[in-house]
Order: sequence, then C-alpha cells, then structure tokens
Amino acid sequence: MLKQEAIDLLAKHRNGAVSVTTMQAAAPWHLAGQTADRHLEASGCMGSAASLALGLAIGAPERKVIVLDGDGSLLMQLGSLVTVASQAPKNYYHFVFANGYYESSGNQPLPGVGTYDFPALAAAAGYAETLRYESADALDRALPSLLERDGPIFVELTIARDDAPPRWAGVPMAEMVRKLKHDLAT
Amino acid sequence: MSTIAAKAVASSLEGRVLAEAIRELGTTHVISVPDTNLRSAIDVLAAWTKPNVMYVCTEDEGIGINAGLYIAGHKPMLLIQNNGLYACLNTLKGIALDAQVPTFLLIGQFGRDVTKTAQENPKRMVHRLEPTLETWGVPYFRIDAPSEIGNLRRAWEAAWNSNGPSAAIVGAPTR
Repeated sequence: MLKQEAIDLLAKHRNGAVSVTTMQAAAPWHLAGQTADRHLEASGCMGSAASLALGLAIGAPERKVIVLDGDGSLLMQLGSLVTVASQAPKNYYHFVFANGYYESSGNQPLPGVGTYDFPALAAAAGYAETLRYESADALDRALPSLLERDGPIFVELTIARDDAPPRWAGVPMAEMVRKLKHDLAT
Repeated sequence: MSTIAAKAVASSLEGRVLAEAIRELGTTHVISVPDTNLRSAIDVLAAWTKPNVMYVCTEDEGIGINAGLYIAGHKPMLLIQNNGLYACLNTLKGIALDAQVPTFLLIGQFGRDVTKTAQENPKRMVHRLEPTLETWGVPYFRIDAPSEIGNLRRAWEAAWNSNGPSAAIVGAPTR
C-alpha cells in the first residue's frame, strides 16, 4: 500500500488515541491534521518512538497509544521489542511502516531487508499479537477491531517505496512535549 | 618490608542509604540498565513496590521511556553506569536536551580505582565521564562519600528546575 493510504486509514480509525510518529510518517500525519492534540513526534532521536510510546502507555494506562514507527528506526533500537513486551501494556499499538529503505536519506536499502521478519521478531519478543497488512483494504477492515483488542499489538504495514523528497513536520519536539503533557493532564 | 595501603579518595555508601535517598526524592520509576557498582542499592530498590524498578535493554530506551512517563505526569529517573552514558548520547541530545525533558541520571563509576580521583583514573570510562557531561552541558554532582548524599537531591532538582538532564555520580561501589 502507499504510505499516504496507511496514514489516512490510521487517522480515520485513531479515535482519540495518543499518537507517536517518527521519520517519514511524521510529516504526512501532520498534514493529515493529526498533530494538534495528543501527539508527539520523535525527532532527532531515531529509534526512540517505541520507547517514548511505552513510557506514555505505562504512564497513562487509561489511554490508547498508537506508534507510527519506521522499519529503519525500529532496527536501530530493536531491543525495544523485548522491553515493550516485558511491560505488556494493553493500550499499546505498534505500527511499523516497512518499505525496506532508509527513506529520509535517499532510499538506501536497510541491512538484512528480505531476510528478517518483523512480526516474527515481535511475536518471539512476546507481543500479544503480531500482524502484517499489504493492502489498504485489508488494513481498513482490520483496524476497528484491532484497536479494541488488548495489546501490545505489532502491525507491519507493507509500504511501497516513495521517491519523493523527504518531508519534515517542522515542529520542535520540545513544543510537542509541552503540549502533550498539557493534553494528558486535562 | 611493609606496604602502605593507598588512601581511598572515594568511599562507599550503604546501598540501603542510597535507595532510601532515592525514594525520598519522590521518584515514581527507576529505569535501569543495571550498574555493577550500584547493585546493592538496586537490590534494595527492587525489593520495594515503590518506586517501580524497570529494567530496559539499552540506555537509549531508558531515556525515551523516561520522557513518556514524564509527559504522562510521573517522576521517573535513570540508574546507569558510566559506559551507559556513552551509549546513549544521541538520545540524550535529542530528548533530554533538545526536547527539554527532565532526565535525572544516577551514574555509577564502574571500573574506578577509588584511591585516585576520577580524573587521575587510567580507564577512559572513568576519567572521560565528567568531561563528556561538560561537553554536552549536563550539570553533575559527585557523591564520593556518604556525607555527600545530599548531592543526590541537588542533582535531581537540577533536572526538574531546568527541564533537562542532570547527573549524580556515585564514585565508589555501594556496599
């Protein structure tokens, strides 16, 4: 599926969940109008989206937290799969945009692409459920019930290569930290 | 022939004293890639229900989780060793400094010869710790003797008052 299709579907089914984005999912999520409230973008700390979201999920267990991660980002802190599973947050939904490339730096191939299996890794780490969706239609059908089930749930989204120039949301992370802290306190 | 034992520059805290001082800070979560030098304090903390001790795979993860917990209204901290600081400099830069998140680091000086000052220690992991913190503008406070336990709170408050990182460095293994 196209990245924008996945973004639009996650926005459609978000239903008030706290969102954490990173890398090339961040700007489309921003342009889709999803960053005004209950949102944090991991910028300048590649690989940290899953951990930031884990802290949020543990700290605010009454709220659902969705992570829009990248495959290169996850590889950078792959051990976070184990740490997430060890905490077993029921409100944690980990979506990984998997195109097999370092998209931000010019679509260089990821190490090991085609040999590793993210859902299998997440399952072995101990996620409650792991899934992979290759089409927008299948994702659209799955999301409503998926986001009602107990996490942590891992979802690989098979995304087509995008050769457009990289885009950035351009909002300082410190500003988003302050805003999200305010949102969660009210 | 007799030998004269070198006098210790840094002396040991009791692990329980350090653990109680941590609890008295009001910290809610101690996020840790454990440090050998601080193991007796970790043992005490882990036996309590509060604060919640959370072991993680890397210090990078710890800084991210610390930030998430802070945003959600909690008062977390990290317990790591000197090598752990070097392992997470990008995340320290991106989250603790640039995103302005209170990030209190309790750091054990793993590998330190306690008969020498940190600066005089031959091991890089020991003598590069304070210069590394200075390079990144991270305030730090030494706890080289039981009488210096008050520096724990000073370091804690530095993080919360500045919305950024700070460190307390424990110079000798806890007992």
